[in-house]
Amino acid sequence: MATDTGQSNQQNTGIGEDRPLKRGPLSKWVSSSIQNPERAYRAMFYVATVFFLFTTLFPFYWLLVLALTPQNLLTNVGLVPNGFNPMSFVTVFERVPFHIYMFNSLVLGIMTTVIVLLLASLAGYVFGRLRFPGKAPMMLAILAISYFPPAAFLIPLFELFTGNVAVPLLGTSLVFGEQLYLNSPDLFNTPWAMVLPFSALFMPLSIFILTTFYGQIPDGLEDAARIEGTTRLGALFRVIIPLSAPGVATAGVLTFISVYNEFFFSFLMNNGEAQNWAPLVGGIIGLQGQFDTPYHLMAAASIIGVLPVAILVIVAQEKIVSGLTAGALKE
Amino acid sequence: MATEQESQGAIRDSSRSGPYVTAVRWMENLSETAFAYFLLAPALLLLLVIAIYPLVTTFGMSLFADAISGSASLGEFVGIQNYVELLTNQKSYALPAPFLPTSLTVGGIVSSALGVTLIFTIVSVFFETIIGFAQALVLDQDFRGRRWIRVAIIIPWAVPIVIQGMIFFLLFQPGIGFLVGTSQNPSLLNQLGIIGTTPLVNTIDSLLIITVADVWKTTAFMALLILAGMQSIDRSLYDVARVSGASPWQQFKLITFPLILPTIMVAMLFRTIAAMRVYGIIETTTGCQTVPSLSCLVVSSFSSRTYGTAATVAFVTAAIIGVVVSIYIVKFADAEGGF
Amino acid sequence: MGDVKLEHVSKHYDDVTAVDDMNVQIRDGEFVCLVGPSGCGKSTTMEMVAGLTMPSEGTIHIAGHEVTNLPPKDRGIAMVFQNIALFPHMDVYDNISFGLRLRDYDKEEIDRRVEKASDVVQLEGMLDRMPDEMSGGQRQRVAIARAIVRNPEVFLMDEPLANLDAKLRVHMRTELQRLHKELDTTIIYVTHDQAEAMTMSDRIAVLDSGQLQQIDPPLTCYNEPANLFVAGFIGSPAMNFVEGEVTENGFRSENLDVEFDPARMGVNVGDQVTLGIRPEDVYPADDGRTLSHPTAEIETVSDVLEPMGDEIFIYLLLADDVETNLEETASNNQLLMSVDPDSDITEEQDVDVVLDRSKIHLFDTNSGQALQHGLVNPTTAESTTGTEAESDD
Repeated sequence: MATDTGQSNQQNTGIGEDRPLKRGPLSKWVSSSIQNPERAYRAMFYVATVFFLFTTLFPFYWLLVLALTPQNLLTNVGLVPNGFNPMSFVTVFERVPFHIYMFNSLVLGIMTTVIVLLLASLAGYVFGRLRFPGKAPMMLAILAISYFPPAAFLIPLFELFTGNVAVPLLGTSLVFGEQLYLNSPDLFNTPWAMVLPFSALFMPLSIFILTTFYGQIPDGLEDAARIEGTTRLGALFRVIIPLSAPGVATAGVLTFISVYNEFFFSFLMNNGEAQNWAPLVGGIIGLQGQFDTPYHLMAAASIIGVLPVAILVIVAQEKIVSGLTAGALKE
Repeated sequence: MATEQESQGAIRDSSRSGPYVTAVRWMENLSETAFAYFLLAPALLLLLVIAIYPLVTTFGMSLFADAISGSASLGEFVGIQNYVELLTNQKSYALPAPFLPTSLTVGGIVSSALGVTLIFTIVSVFFETIIGFAQALVLDQDFRGRRWIRVAIIIPWAVPIVIQGMIFFLLFQPGIGFLVGTSQNPSLLNQLGIIGTTPLVNTIDSLLIITVADVWKTTAFMALLILAGMQSIDRSLYDVARVSGASPWQQFKLITFPLILPTIMVAMLFRTIAAMRVYGIIETTTGCQTVPSLSCLVVSSFSSRTYGTAATVAFVTAAIIGVVVSIYIVKFADAEGGF
Repeated sequence: MGDVKLEHVSKHYDDVTAVDDMNVQIRDGEFVCLVGPSGCGKSTTMEMVAGLTMPSEGTIHIAGHEVTNLPPKDRGIAMVFQNIALFPHMDVYDNISFGLRLRDYDKEEIDRRVEKASDVVQLEGMLDRMPDEMSGGQRQRVAIARAIVRNPEVFLMDEPLANLDAKLRVHMRTELQRLHKELDTTIIYVTHDQAEAMTMSDRIAVLDSGQLQQIDPPLTCYNEPANLFVAGFIGSPAMNFVEGEVTENGFRSENLDVEFDPARMGVNVGDQVTLGIRPEDVYPADDGRTLSHPTAEIETVSDVLEPMGDEIFIYLLLADDVETNLEETASNNQLLMSVDPDSDITEEQDVDVVLDRSKIHLFDTNSGQALQHGLVNPTTAESTTGTEAESDD
């Protein structure tokens, strides 16, 4: 049929069925698609893929365009940079200690991930492998906590972390003749003011992922470990967790990305200064000067800020998908 | 071999002593229930201090009037008056934007906290589901370079909210880009009447931008969850369908869709909860004055130290989310029962 | 040393009693099989000995120490599991040495013991393999090596051969017996396969519905089953049962009568009893003439023949009317007979058979308890033991 394409397609189509019809490329494609729907699906698939690639990646391209455009040419920027000024990537670090903000973000992410993995491992073991009364209501309660908007926690946590909450020490009025109070520690402007809320907020998801993974380890392996001489906790750390490594990795990656992305507490639980553990949020908002708005620097900083999670996604994407497949959703 | 049982090399645990061994022995002898609660204790303690204590305190605060003088943080006890005032829209004196729409016009609805939050939630979750589903279908295919396409589609989800806000701020800030023109030199979007020339201070334009920004970032999350659902479908079902002569469309309609419907419902539930608490993207793109979402009200009344009002709005927001969650759960139970 | 004692051990779950007042004493070095159908409580019993499940009541002693509430690691036991349960993230050496490393043995001692244990189960040269690179039989050997390397007081084996294919299972059965002889350690072995129990154990403990039915050497369980359950469970194909009643002339049922003097057999006229006879103790009338204590001839019709190669199983119908009996092949009307392969009996043929009286069992139909083993006069009962070899064919 390929040789027919070049010929005239003026001819009427009502000819005998045994002869190949002469058609234009489009109608030919359409008819062959009807006979062979796979091709139509294939075409739809390519169109959709290209569309999605464009829509997800264009905003990053736009950041690059702005970052490379010199500040004095930042008006009516089109689809290509107005000039070439890679120095803005350096200027970002000169204007604010952007590396410290990034470091703070990484530290907060790692601290939260460690805490969440530890606590969620214990809880996941309990929910995935033990039978006890009150299990289902407790899982629901933990899930319900994640429904509340962070705003509902904000005011008391702010008071708590600024040392304004006094806990009466029981019995002190009897011993010392007056009631003594223990003031809550002043955690504002420390990592803990963010790490603690992050941990509470993101722990439920990890608990559900790890519950599923730990629940799938055959009972025999845990029994074997205990017969061989571990305690119940020993079996968790020596056998169950190592065997659930993909699930632990998934939970860890998701927690880290969540912390790195978080805005609410990252913005409100510090004064925005790098030495006070303000994360990325502080760095990018801090670029906005009092007298000017350096769009090219904001764009450059955004690109730099995305890099760590972009790398993480590239490395861990299989894990993220398979971890979710393995059952975060089944609960 | 039986004669040298446990003879050398090791000490039998029963002969060891010390606090560590005592602790281990104590833990091993806990009943299953006691052991379960023992291991849950750290997680529960964290949730108690960081989540439950604040929730209870917030609720308590919501029963007090705002402080009048600068020194105290709360005024007198007023019971449910804050709630009454908020729900009858008489709290505007303490809030930057009304809670309920003052008029049933488009402008009236989007300038109220509840109206703008609900519109944002419905529109963004609707488009995220549709597009996320399409993306999941693409990602579910087996093709060369799938790994990189997948990375490209997932990446927006991993972008920090502050950077997401920055991106859309930079796209729509008048003067720098080609998306927004001036009245003399309108851009394509201006000419089509989609946005005005100062979109970031116009409430309707800003709502549109924030919705697009949210769809851009979180569709990937939706796609991931739906993809996870698709990949957990037993592949042999498709073989059965193919042998029975089902076309790809029929396979989709009869197998894929019904089997991932529960997944989609759960994913929509997650997204709805998150969308109703929207704050960061607004703060970083247009600011809370332009798009006053519920969380915006809480933060701004918190910043102006009207704690009673802030707590009330926070709790009402949680209650509204609770209502929406219950609706989903009821619907979800229906969908489950339908099979 | 490695003796195990269970006293009044029970395990209740919410509304189920898995094990009910179990009393068992196992001597040092003994190989005891716990057998029974699934759900009979044999696995729960073993888990309680292992310490993986805590008993609701009762006490457990191992090697003279009470271990009822001790965790598994302090009980001096090792266990081999049905699903083998090798740690998939460790190689063979690490799997075998897991327990030793937990107990802080020094390196040379671990090496020496691992080498010795892997020698015993013939695993030389495989110590650096991962479990998923090995065959089922090799994995089972690793699991056994992991158990023996610690020189435990007691081995617990929970259906260790159930997941192996038939040929390997028979082979491993012999290996385990060899191992038991070599190590001379107490072994408690759970299985639902009565053939495994018969061939390997010193004593068999038969369990049903959480209760111990009988614990005796295999041949005692076979020849003198304590009750209907044990009689039906031990032996393959199963014992024939015919329900009937005791009359002045002996046993009487619809289609089968056996004469005896009730007074001398410890039963009373009017008792509801079940007669039990194993297939190999049913003989065609002409072969039965060599028996010292044959019953009267019984008229039957052959139904289905199952040639096994070394013997033929023949299903006999006791009633005259074949047609009616084909519809209800209730065991009461049916008798299974095992004959030599050279027998010329064909299907649907009249066959007269006799039963070996010394091998007939009587059970109380209601309680299931055994009333009498062998229907020969008590005075001559001693001599029937002497005819055992002959009746074995």
